[in-house]
Amino acid sequence: MARAIWSGSISFGMVSIPVKLFGATESKDISFNLLHATCGTRLKQLRWCPTDEVEVPWSETVRGYEYAKDQYVTLTDEDFEKLPLPSRHTIELTAFVKESEIDPVYYERSYYLAPDERAEKPYALLLQAMEQKQLTALATITIRKKEQLCAIRPKSGAIALETLYYPDEVRQPDVDLDNTKVSERELGMAFTLIELLRKPFEPEEYHDHYREALAQLIDAKLEGREVVKAPPARETGVIDLADALRRSVEAAKKGGKARAAAKAPARRRTRTSRTRKVS
Amino acid sequence: MTKRRPAAAARDVLDQLAEAEERTTLTVDGHELPVSSLDKPLWPGQGRRKGATKRDLLRYLTRVWPFIRPHLADRPIFVTRFPNGVTGKSFFQKHWEPAPPFARTVKIHSAVNDRDGDYLLCDNLATLLWLGQMAGLELHGWFSRTNPEPDATGRSRKFTGSEAALERSILNYPDFIVFDLDPYLYSGREGHGEEPELHRRAFVRVRSLALRIREILEGLGLVTFIKTSGRTGLHLYLPIVRDLDFDAARGVAETIARHVRQERPKEVTIEWAVRRRTGKIFFDYNQNSRGKSLAVPYSPRRHPAATVSMPLAWDEIERVYPTDFTIHTAPDLLEREGDAWDEMLDARQDLAQVLGAESAP
Repeated sequence: MARAIWSGSISFGMVSIPVKLFGATESKDISFNLLHATCGTRLKQLRWCPTDEVEVPWSETVRGYEYAKDQYVTLTDEDFEKLPLPSRHTIELTAFVKESEIDPVYYERSYYLAPDERAEKPYALLLQAMEQKQLTALATITIRKKEQLCAIRPKSGAIALETLYYPDEVRQPDVDLDNTKVSERELGMAFTLIELLRKPFEPEEYHDHYREALAQLIDAKLEGREVVKAPPARETGVIDLADALRRSVEAAKKGGKARAAAKAPARRRTRTSRTRKVS
Repeated sequence: MTKRRPAAAARDVLDQLAEAEERTTLTVDGHELPVSSLDKPLWPGQGRRKGATKRDLLRYLTRVWPFIRPHLADRPIFVTRFPNGVTGKSFFQKHWEPAPPFARTVKIHSAVNDRDGDYLLCDNLATLLWLGQMAGLELHGWFSRTNPEPDATGRSRKFTGSEAALERSILNYPDFIVFDLDPYLYSGREGHGEEPELHRRAFVRVRSLALRIREILEGLGLVTFIKTSGRTGLHLYLPIVRDLDFDAARGVAETIARHVRQERPKEVTIEWAVRRRTGKIFFDYNQNSRGKSLAVPYSPRRHPAATVSMPLAWDEIERVYPTDFTIHTAPDLLEREGDAWDEMLDARQDLAQVLGAESAP
């Protein structure tokens, strides 16, 4: 099984059930890397500061909230740690509702909860109770610094967790049909059409045709050797540096002609430097 | 980090300086040292940072003596003197004939005029204060020492007679490899022909490069130390066991300089011509030569705010700015926080061993 992305416990009345959270879905989109068209090298993303004109390491970054144009208030990791998050590492069940009461627009991502060691019994108990009552639990969970509303329900013999959008994250539709009239006859024709296409939901019948076509195209290119090969990386790694340093230290320790030859220009530079400022 | 309190002798000198008029004779560890023009301004100050007089300088030198002493001990010293303060003319002094009786000197052969010359060693507080009295503001130390103890006891102590004798001696073996990073990034406020002044944008860039060099060397298992130059740049020191001579040390520095220049070609230069350094950080690996010197740790500098070259702990570097450390602020910081370079001279690393080089046959 995949790696757990979260571990904590379900808090249900007096009972606490240790669980792990796993992703329930995965995207199968074919992804691409961006290459430099002229040389075929994979492009590197830089965090670039246009003011200092330097690449910025993660250690020098801070989160800024833009409260007005170009004006930021900054928050550090410590600030985030201080935020009150009661649901940190607990899934707090707060209410039970019918699944049909939750509009699908609220669903964000799907996960499975798996019982931790020795938590099978209370886990199975909660699962069976929800199955028999045909109810879904509402709860809160904190994943990646964000407290989220979620729904917990029985699914294929396990407990599934769906994170939900908060109501203020769901937009209202902007559609106006007040001046559009539909006749009884037109509605009757639509009913007929719908009945013709009515059948059970069998997701296995559906495929991503675009992805299949793309995979075929890539296979064809590989067959025809129409392949762009990345040039070998330049030798600038630390290993090469270590090697170069080792060679210079070895040369020095062994003395000899190579070293004497390398010496002359260095001495000359030393002398020119008299005119240089003293730093 | 060790916290050192001023010793009794130092407290005594501080008392004498507090009471002295414009001129007096100080008694320092039993030595008589006439001093004059104590209230002459040597630094004008800049913005919020106040200036400083010669009395301030002598007080500073007395208070930092326990910290600066190990970095001066047994090293030939050069001094930049500013008789009329940092805004006036300066000259670089290498030879001292005659020196006062309490000052120790060492005869070293000079290849330039093919004779032996007297070089100053600064082994006691009286010598340091004498340099201060002469407005010798910037103290430059060699990277090698006259004393082979404790790690190179077999090396020769004969520095005179010929270039060859000097090359065989302990003075040809540095205690550390230095990486002198000097941003040639102009703020735009400099006059024609002037060197770049200190400004934030340049400092951020030189700091980023220093951190990268530290990361590279750490990746090789090597520990480096950092200090502000007290002007615009940063100095990284890599303390080594003294079995590599200056040519080898320079070779190591050059290899690293070329590596980071290849990594950051738009930012780093090793070019000698000043014109070609403009807009980049100059990585001066040639400093690693016998007879060259950098401002020693805690040396005052010629910046108007009376800055000093301040040793730092690596985790401080992101929070500080060179003008935070002046002859007014550094002693309190040192006495309160301790010396970030307390262990620098003892942290000798055997490069051949760390890098897995084959030793001499």
